[in-house]
Amino acid sequence: MFKKTIYSLLLSSITLLALETGDKLPQNIQDNLKLERDKVYVIDFFASWCKSCKKELPLVSKVYNDKVVEVIGINVDKKQTDGEKLVADLALPFPVYYDSEKSMVETFDPMGFPAIYYVKNGKVLHIIFGAVDEIDKQIVKDIKEIK
Amino acid sequence: MMKLIAMSIMALSLMGCSMVKEVKPWEKETLARPIMQFGGIHPEVTKFESHVYFSKEASRGGSGVAGGGCGCN
Repeated sequence: MFKKTIYSLLLSSITLLALETGDKLPQNIQDNLKLERDKVYVIDFFASWCKSCKKELPLVSKVYNDKVVEVIGINVDKKQTDGEKLVADLALPFPVYYDSEKSMVETFDPMGFPAIYYVKNGKVLHIIFGAVDEIDKQIVKDIKEIK
Repeated sequence: MMKLIAMSIMALSLMGCSMVKEVKPWEKETLARPIMQFGGIHPEVTKFESHVYFSKEASRGGSGVAGGGCGCN
């Protein structure tokens, strides 16, 4: 009994590590997001209460509409309806995954919001945390460097 | 027995302060509400309230963080 408690304490002390540049996405995440091979994806985490996200999302939409890169949005609102309302209000053109159960965001474990991950062949190539002025220009620049 | 004691010490030292749960960025919905901003939802109301306070109490200060300077104002 005592041994079991000690083992569980030891296990609880081990925390999951956040995904970093160069890390591979778990297969279940790749499957859920339907990532195709040899395509670069921008995975954008956002929430309706995040003001910087609201500022960035129209610019990310512009990049997607200009066919610079594939974009997948991941909404982390507790209530999916809040996320759906934001997506409708901003008329986001790219696919959005609703992660109200937080399984996706807990795997990525970003250290700030908004969080943008560049992914190719299931591998994280670059990460941007926090608000960036003219994120559209930044994405275009990053994609040029990646390609 | 010694092994168990060593393991429990190791477990406790590894746990450290992990009992205090960190607020992750995606959990900051409540903190992002306007009411949570420093100075309240309307900073001008706070300013007015502090004016009433120092007029009534004939004293001021102690309600914020000093920004340095001579303090002569």
